[in-house]
Amino acid sequence: MSTLELREVVKRYEGGGETVNAVDRVSLSIGPGEFVALYGPSGSGKTTLLMMAATIMRPDSGSILFDGRELGCLTTRESARFRRETVGIVFQSFHLMQGASALDNAALKLFALNMRLNEARETARPWLERLGLGHRLEHKPSELSMGERQRVAIARALANKPRMLLADEPTGNLDSKRSREVLGLLGEICAERDIPTMLVTHDPQATAFVSQVYTLRDGTLTEGLDLDLHTTVSG
Amino acid sequence: MRPRRFRFDPSIFGLRLTALYAIYREHWRYYRAPELMAGAGIAVGVSLVFGVLVANSSILGSTREAIHAVDGSASLELVARSPHGFGQGLSQRVSELPGVAVAAPVLRESAVIEGPKGRLLGQLIGVSARFVGLESSATKDLGAGAQLLSGGVGLPSGVASAIGAHTERQAKLLANGVAHTVQVRAVLDAGAIGSLAASRIFVTLLQNAQTLAGEPGRVTQVLIRPYPGKGKQVEGELRRLAAGQLDVEPADHELELAQTALKPTNQSTSLFAAISLMVGFLLALNAMLLTVPERRRQLAEMREQGYDSRQVVVVLASQALALGIAASIVGIFIGDVLARTIFDEVPSYLATTFPITGHQQIHLTAVLVAFSCGVLAALLASMSPIMDLRESRPIDAVLHEPGEPGQSIGDDVTRNSALLGLAILAIATAMALLNSGLTIPSGVALALAAPCFMPILFRAATRVLGRIARHYHGGMIAITTIELEATATRSVALACITALAIYGSVAVGGARTDLIRGIDKGVSQEWGTAAIWVTPDQNIRDTDSFHVQGVAAAIARAPGVASVSAHQGALLDAGTQRLWIRAAPPGSASMILSSELLQGDLAHARALMRQSGWATVSSGFASEHDLRIGGPFTLPTPSGPARFDVAAITTNIGWPPGTITLNTNDYSHYWQSTDPTTLAVDLKPGTTPTAGARAIRQALGSKSALRVQTSHERMAEVKAIGRQGLSVIGDISKLLLLISALALAVALSTAIYQRRGRLASLKAQGFDRLQLWRGVLLESAVVLGIGCLDGAILGLYGHALADRYLRVNTGFAASFSLGAAQIILTLLIVGGASLAVVAIPGYSAAGVAPELSFQE
Repeated sequence: MSTLELREVVKRYEGGGETVNAVDRVSLSIGPGEFVALYGPSGSGKTTLLMMAATIMRPDSGSILFDGRELGCLTTRESARFRRETVGIVFQSFHLMQGASALDNAALKLFALNMRLNEARETARPWLERLGLGHRLEHKPSELSMGERQRVAIARALANKPRMLLADEPTGNLDSKRSREVLGLLGEICAERDIPTMLVTHDPQATAFVSQVYTLRDGTLTEGLDLDLHTTVSG
Repeated sequence: MRPRRFRFDPSIFGLRLTALYAIYREHWRYYRAPELMAGAGIAVGVSLVFGVLVANSSILGSTREAIHAVDGSASLELVARSPHGFGQGLSQRVSELPGVAVAAPVLRESAVIEGPKGRLLGQLIGVSARFVGLESSATKDLGAGAQLLSGGVGLPSGVASAIGAHTERQAKLLANGVAHTVQVRAVLDAGAIGSLAASRIFVTLLQNAQTLAGEPGRVTQVLIRPYPGKGKQVEGELRRLAAGQLDVEPADHELELAQTALKPTNQSTSLFAAISLMVGFLLALNAMLLTVPERRRQLAEMREQGYDSRQVVVVLASQALALGIAASIVGIFIGDVLARTIFDEVPSYLATTFPITGHQQIHLTAVLVAFSCGVLAALLASMSPIMDLRESRPIDAVLHEPGEPGQSIGDDVTRNSALLGLAILAIATAMALLNSGLTIPSGVALALAAPCFMPILFRAATRVLGRIARHYHGGMIAITTIELEATATRSVALACITALAIYGSVAVGGARTDLIRGIDKGVSQEWGTAAIWVTPDQNIRDTDSFHVQGVAAAIARAPGVASVSAHQGALLDAGTQRLWIRAAPPGSASMILSSELLQGDLAHARALMRQSGWATVSSGFASEHDLRIGGPFTLPTPSGPARFDVAAITTNIGWPPGTITLNTNDYSHYWQSTDPTTLAVDLKPGTTPTAGARAIRQALGSKSALRVQTSHERMAEVKAIGRQGLSVIGDISKLLLLISALALAVALSTAIYQRRGRLASLKAQGFDRLQLWRGVLLESAVVLGIGCLDGAILGLYGHALADRYLRVNTGFAASFSLGAAQIILTLLIVGGASLAVVAIPGYSAAGVAPELSFQE
């Protein structure tokens, strides 16, 4: 039973002679089985927050704790191990290996866990089958539809049985039907595995699938869905 | 339950071998073209390295093989200083010395063998049955074969094949200015005489050789095998017998002479080989750099998924090793073919002076060096994404760089590489100026400097293009600028390949041209001092004397002939050098030529040379013996040690070990011979050279073995033979050009293929095929242009350094000349051909469907 906790997290960017707080003293807690959405327009800092939770970036101040363990002070090697063993990440642009089959793409993370090739493939296979790709295992990303590629990316995120799931605009390249399928799937996995799940999205429709919504605006977090922002984003 | 199967699947930092294989295989599937290109670049570089290494080592190696094949168990030799040898009776006295187990007399004479298909210059060797006692691999069957050779000659299979000779057929043998008809008694293959089957040695019995050479009762050498423990004693006795007029040396002393003779040639070949080595290495490196952007992107995505830096390095290294090993193996096979085809020719003047078999020798060292170069190039190029592993750099930074992910070149990299290039340039210059012997590493360093300047040149070019785009109404220049900047790493890598191609070709080709020009100038001057030249056939080094009664007088009586003067010459072993001794009549214009003079006053030196006791020496010899103008030196002549004073210091006149020029009076006195090697004929006014040559041939008669050549014909022949010595260098130069143009065309085509996605985006924006094609060509032209500029400038500098090295270290006459025409030709061949080749795939790529831009 895992918990992700952010306490007064700050992340600054410098550019053009000025400093911008991309994330400004954000505090947030996601408990086991909680499916939380971070909503906000582009440039609001939500991806930055997700990247910090994934230990791809470090906060400038504040704490990020996972099961009580401070993530902000992990070494590069420790953070890689953390992502490898503990986190599943789904990206908007999938980040699949072009020459690899769906099966090998899904097994990619497992290769780094000292698994033999066949063992890694056998571990990843059930996830692909569950996601409806059992008949597409040997297909390359260029031979898959956008929705299928996203499901491969999800399978990859789940293959290592993560204790936390992070999804950065997973439905950004999908139509509404596929989007609902993917979001429903993420919610299902979250509940099934009882793991904290963070969804970053600028789609207000996505908030219907989550248990809690936060809005991030100019780096500041507020609880709930800010419909004014929705007008701004979609208008 | 399935039985457990043992599988060898080790893991390195948590990555299994099978997983690494799967990752690389999948990378290959999508990036086959750039990986193949990188592999081809590595293979090409390795083949060049290997081919040159084998070429450099084979001549000396085959000489060593041939000498040992002849000498067998002999450990000492008594050698004549004069080409006329010494009396055979002395050989008998040697065999009677206490402590001598075997004493085998040998007569060696330059000769030409002619058959139905052609003629070859080689060495006639006469041996006796005593040779069998030396148990050499070349003569182990001589006992049984002696009967075979009786009254005829045995030819190595290589020679027989070249001239179309067969057993029991006749051939013509020309020696000592006389033509003889001989019976080919045996064609000796490798089974009979080992590696000598590829040599130019014509073997016969001693008595027969003495008849053919016109040296009855004479031998030039005695090979001796002392009894065990008696070596020193025998050596002392031999020196007593030699009485200061013959040389007593180890039996393989000729190997040392060959090493010295080959050293300047090897030095100049090594210079060019080193440049080619570096060019080949960097070609491979730059080919690998074409794959770097994709690798950087992939590795960033892996790190996002949790691969740590060690695992990233393992992935990179495993892929580099796999590609490097496979490509290096292919490269070695190609290099072997190059060594056997392009690099296998042995210059005639070396083949007749030393027993060179021309047998290609491949040593494990050459294989290991070439293989290592290829693997190292692959590893170094693949490791550049390691820079993304720096702590200060975000894991996904490469995915957010401007342009294509993984392509940008930062300001610090641009600045630092330019500074590095300047530092290398300064070091290379300092090395070459302080010590001319360091010119080889200087030339190599310049090749390293060429890619260092590329990022800054690229940036300057894109800025200039950007400025032009602002003032020019037309979208493609602006688009081209954007595209170039978006694919900076790839563009710079392509420009580096261009620069290296041009650098190698300009440096090597330019120095070779200057060398040839210097040699040709000397040849023209020397052989232009008389209208007609009469000499034994293929008397290249002007060391083959002839003794034909009354020939000079007969020529002098021929219609149109004004005067006849005799020139003489021979090879003389002095220490570790086989010197060329040449002699001209006192007061002859050919005594010292302005093109040969390095130190001293020409008129004064000519005046001194009319007197006895004066000589000119080549710069290498002067340097080795610390000689100055007017200073004394001693030559070990056939009459004993002779003292001379230095009248002038000259170039090596085409003979790298050293050349000494005397007047014929001194030569005749010390070499106890008035036999000429060449007769120089001046004609009466109004007599054309052709008419004069015809008249002289008539005077000599149809049976004469002497050649009558006009000065023009003689010049052409000597120039052609002189250039043989540079054939390896010329071949390296041509090979560099060919390989570079090929590598460049393939690299550009591959780069265009990789750009299809971006071209599709532009298509989707509304650009048509012709516009995109123009843009592709313009981009390629810019890349080629900056590469050509960089390579040409550094190549010229390398050319100048190489010329200086040749003048100072090898004694060759090589004056720097810009050779603008040659540079332009090189640029046209490399740049123009590449652009022409690129036009086709460029047009094809410009036809890409816009839908491609919507795929990931």
